[in-house]
Amino acid sequence: MNANNNSDKKRRKVSSYFIRMRSLNVFFIFVLLFAVFAVFSPGHRFTSGENMHIFLSTGAEFTIVAIVVGMLMISGEFDLSVGSILVFASYIFITLFHAGVHIFLSLIITLVVGGIVGFINGIITVKARIPSFITTLGAMLLWRGVTLLLSGGLQQGLVLTENPIMYKAITGVIGKIMPAQFLWFIGISVVITLIMHFHKFGNWIFTTGDNKMAARAMGINTDRIKVVCFTVVGIAVAFAGVMQMFRSETFSARAGDGWELKAITAAVVGGTALTGGMGTMMGVFWGALVIVIIENGLIFMRIQYWWTFTIFGVIIVSTAIISRYFDRRRTMLGAEKNV
Amino acid sequence: MSLYKPGLLRPGFPLLIRDFLVYNVLSENVHYGRNAYGYQLCVEKKMSDKADAKEGTSTEKTPLAQVPLVRMVDIDKWFGKVNALRGINFTVNHGEIVGLVGDNGAGKSTLIKILSGFHPADRGEIYFEGKKVNISNPKLAKNLGIETVYQEQALAPHISIARNVFMGREPTKFLGFMDRGMMDSESMGAITKLGLRIKDPEAMVEMLSGGQRQGVAIARVMYFKAKLVVLDEPTIALSVKESQQVLDFMQQLKAEGISVIFITHNIFHAFQVAERFFILARGEMLIDVRKEDTTIDHLIELIVSGRSEIKS
Repeated sequence: MNANNNSDKKRRKVSSYFIRMRSLNVFFIFVLLFAVFAVFSPGHRFTSGENMHIFLSTGAEFTIVAIVVGMLMISGEFDLSVGSILVFASYIFITLFHAGVHIFLSLIITLVVGGIVGFINGIITVKARIPSFITTLGAMLLWRGVTLLLSGGLQQGLVLTENPIMYKAITGVIGKIMPAQFLWFIGISVVITLIMHFHKFGNWIFTTGDNKMAARAMGINTDRIKVVCFTVVGIAVAFAGVMQMFRSETFSARAGDGWELKAITAAVVGGTALTGGMGTMMGVFWGALVIVIIENGLIFMRIQYWWTFTIFGVIIVSTAIISRYFDRRRTMLGAEKNV
Repeated sequence: MSLYKPGLLRPGFPLLIRDFLVYNVLSENVHYGRNAYGYQLCVEKKMSDKADAKEGTSTEKTPLAQVPLVRMVDIDKWFGKVNALRGINFTVNHGEIVGLVGDNGAGKSTLIKILSGFHPADRGEIYFEGKKVNISNPKLAKNLGIETVYQEQALAPHISIARNVFMGREPTKFLGFMDRGMMDSESMGAITKLGLRIKDPEAMVEMLSGGQRQGVAIARVMYFKAKLVVLDEPTIALSVKESQQVLDFMQQLKAEGISVIFITHNIFHAFQVAERFFILARGEMLIDVRKEDTTIDHLIELIVSGRSEIKS
């Protein structure tokens, strides 16, 4: 009887641990999807080195964006303009590069421009006190429009081979599979995760999103934190845009189209609350990879590309419902633990 | 040293002449204001006096207990055309629990927001421990040792208790990275000291009851050695038992030598712990009275009528 009770308790503990660790759930979904695609894709081509390379490099670009968008969502704001910042930054970079500016300087200027665009989003949101949803919706249309106007909507080729160091640093391949982009992405994720979960600034971001008034009452400058988050999003997105252009060696005026909603989907799948203050960087990390693996895997399953949107739609709503249920369970489990 | 000069400081006495006397003739750091003892003039030695400062005994000459902890003088506040506060003189002494009571819209919150740096006052001065201060933002209030605990705004619900305790003042190891081990142990220490039983400092605040949340917020201000704690409606949404717990927390703060401003609608709660009552109505002071000099019925009558000239 007693032993039975004990084992029951133990089992409950394992399950409660599973529920409490939100990012672990997303990781398991990722592993599951990986296994399904590996087994069921014709000729197991999903796991071929070539596809792994593509998966990791495209995944890296998108996940960098998703991670910073997740951070911004934790601070309680949205950014719908990431796709447009991305394409605008790409345009700035390619224009500077073709004008003969040194590649390294072009990159720096592009990152600064990305930062400024993000900063403007932040300042408008904070100072004019309008929802960031509106600010960035406007920014999305504005910067996309500006890019289309300036570029005439045309594609442009980017030839980088005469700059071997820069080229290698971003598009190099390690061991035939691991793209250098992936290392960049791991590096950025680790830095942001450390800041969000271990640095005091991360704590300020969480409190700002969770209870802005409490944060202000404790002397935290919530406005500044939001502006910094917007700026970081701008810089990281600009970097992702340059990376994408290096990989594809073309500038397209439609680059980054739809990324804003995909990034929010990734953050939500990873357990970030739309209201702010809740979420983990690990969750967003795996959430973004889940989104990327679905996109990539479906192609290898020979399923028409348009299905991805349908599936994303189903996923975002079902995750929201499931995580609502689990959140309640989590609160109860916590209460059980603490009383 | 304090001088009792009722004649000089009668309410009707011309303000300009009074100020002239105080600042030029007496030429010392003098303040006046109405408190529980009537109109009082306090004279302090100038701190800039070098001889005094060197001796180090100047504090003995004017014991801290005689200088009120906080003195808000002649505070006016306008919101557009609404006069939210009219000439409020509000004093808090050391280690005292003051009940700041009044109906909705009486100006309690406005007064406290001026004190805690959320709003600037349109007129008036604030003295903290006898020194004139300009509290233009919440951080400055914190640096002085004035901590405000708002019921809905004290804690972030989805963040751990330890992180809430150290919110905005995280102890760091290097490069601003938090010392989480210390945060856990210190926050538990502060909470246990208050007599609150919580096992896990990593638990989310959302899992705590209302009384426990107030406890965490109060443990926080105690840990950071506040001199004055403002509790804004701490018992408003609590059960009877939990309210009692919060009132006990206030006694704990007093025992630590921390002054408390207890803002409430509930005169019964205020009467249990407060030693002095400051009642506001429509931006004006109705009464400032010690507990010994009044009865709960009188206070209720005042609040209900909203007029000070009630004969009890």
